[in-house]
Amino acid sequence: MEKGEDEVNQGAILSPRREDFFLEGERELTMTVFGSQRNFSTVLNSFCCILAPRLPGSNSQGCRRFIQLRTVTENFLICLKTAFFFFSLFTLYSLFLTNASADNAPERIISLAPSTTEILFALGLGEKIVGVTSFCDYPVEAREKAKIGGMSNPSLEAVLSLQPDIVVMTTDGNPKEFEARLRSLNIRTYVFTARRIRELPVAIRDMGRVLGAEEPSRMLSAEIEKAISRLGNNRPSDSRKKKVLFIVWPEPLIVAGPGTAIDDALDLLGVENIAGNAKTAYPKYSIEEVLYQSPDVIFIGKGMQANMREVSRGLLHKLGLVPAVKNGSVFFVSDSLYRLGPRIIKGIEELETCLK
Amino acid sequence: MPKIKIALLIALLFSVCILALFLGPRGINPLDLSDIDRTIVFSIRLPRVLISLLMGMALGASGAVLQGILRNPLADPYILGISSGASLFAAFGIIMGFSFIGTFTIPALAFTGAILTGVIVGIIGRKKGGIWPERLLLAGVGLSFLFSALLMLMLSLSSDEGLRRSVLWIFGDLSLSEWSRIPYGSVFILAGLLLAMTRAKALNALILGDELAHSLGFSPHTERLVLFVSVGLMTAASVSLGGMIGFIGLLVPHIIRFFMGADSKVLIPAAALGGGVLLCVADLISRSVLPPMELPAGIVTAIIGSPYFLYLLRRKNVLSI
Repeated sequence: MEKGEDEVNQGAILSPRREDFFLEGERELTMTVFGSQRNFSTVLNSFCCILAPRLPGSNSQGCRRFIQLRTVTENFLICLKTAFFFFSLFTLYSLFLTNASADNAPERIISLAPSTTEILFALGLGEKIVGVTSFCDYPVEAREKAKIGGMSNPSLEAVLSLQPDIVVMTTDGNPKEFEARLRSLNIRTYVFTARRIRELPVAIRDMGRVLGAEEPSRMLSAEIEKAISRLGNNRPSDSRKKKVLFIVWPEPLIVAGPGTAIDDALDLLGVENIAGNAKTAYPKYSIEEVLYQSPDVIFIGKGMQANMREVSRGLLHKLGLVPAVKNGSVFFVSDSLYRLGPRIIKGIEELETCLK
Repeated sequence: MPKIKIALLIALLFSVCILALFLGPRGINPLDLSDIDRTIVFSIRLPRVLISLLMGMALGASGAVLQGILRNPLADPYILGISSGASLFAAFGIIMGFSFIGTFTIPALAFTGAILTGVIVGIIGRKKGGIWPERLLLAGVGLSFLFSALLMLMLSLSSDEGLRRSVLWIFGDLSLSEWSRIPYGSVFILAGLLLAMTRAKALNALILGDELAHSLGFSPHTERLVLFVSVGLMTAASVSLGGMIGFIGLLVPHIIRFFMGADSKVLIPAAALGGGVLLCVADLISRSVLPPMELPAGIVTAIIGSPYFLYLLRRKNVLSI
């Protein structure tokens, strides 16, 4: 928990600092360019003036040729000076622009994960999102945004071409190297580090602060906190916890294990996830073990998907002896809990209704 | 002497089956079965053991036959691209979420892919009225590169969930074993095995070279075609039952040769039995070592099989097939 907050803060502090440094560097560079421009033209001018009459072969013909030559040089110099002038104007202008946007909230946001996309939309930042991953399908508006590739393999070029003010990433799914790459290209990043439900409110508030949506983020995180504390108070006190299994995919049997939002949700609801002792987040689970553990309730995720009931039939047939199947406590639920985002509350409430 | 060895192998196979039925993530006492134990033994472990036997037999036998007809010790059932074709079709089905014939969809797609690839390889390998080993081999390698590239392309474009399930399938996944898969699997595999065993004499002749085979009264091209069909049937059925299992097709025939010699009449059934034993043991290990999780059986076969093979290679004085 503490570690997570630290990382969040670090990310928030680091980015403006780096930007300051960048601005300073650019200013310095412009100064140098101005200085060198003056020196360069002076030197070249004096060079022409001093050396002109002393060049070898200074008869009349040569003189004429040289005069012509000097005119060309001068023209060239004038062009060069104008170019430098406009270049420096442009640099100064862009400098002011970046300065202005660094003070305000970012206007062009790219989200590199479906969960952060959902949070951004919930914070009312949907209009400012210019790019999302190809997996960002919720809310519906997200599907119309420009795609920058997958979560684990976003396209650097696509990100750059969208000229983002900030790129929002997660530690859960985005490659660390990509973040470093963006930083090295002077693109501001914000890393969303929450992985568990309890870390979500703090992380959302922090993200809102950085992205200039403090008020909505406070409201959203308060809502999540309220849901968490309500569940904490209503927790069933009886000694025998219900045993539950959340199936992500029936064939091969993949279930929600420890460290997932689903596991957290089950814990908040005061039931026991029988796959909580597995070694990975989404283990391929042994069917025999399900029979031995005999869960009282089975949830099957993405149950609204057309073929999920069909695909699970074989598995449920094999699990005929398990109390959940015998008592008809097999529930097909939505995929609200698959992403650590604003839909978590809805997902928990959905499970709660089923468990009652 | 070979008969005794084969009898020993059959005995080994039975004992391994019994072990695989009653050992596992939790041991089951066969004399005291509760309801749950009975379900586990009869509707989960038994079909799984049978499928692992069928797959292992198919891979071992088709490896032995293929190394003979291609006259190449590096040949294995997957070298002909059959498995790549099957993986491509299966992964496509998994990623697109097809389920038009329920749980049979993916095996059926894999079988179609495998047979289709086999036919294409056969057509390319055919020239001047016969199948030529080198052409067959090169056609298979070329096609399998193409299919692997397409598979990689598809995997790199797919969502994480589809990717995970496809990879699990490709690594070999026996957890999907059901009684309903056994009839069709056993029909194709036993047909292929019988076909190969009846042509064992011809295979012996083919190993000596086409001219000798011809002078011994076998038509090399016809025999090769028949044997190729048997390999195709066995491999396609095995891949569609449980994905790709490495090691068995390539190295089990060699291990059997170390002990029983290279006579195809003995080698084919012995390699089939050996493959069955190995896959059954590997599957037992893969579901028992890290409960409640399961490992892909294909990885375990290679991890336990390869060191043993290298040890044998060091010990025995074998210079060629």
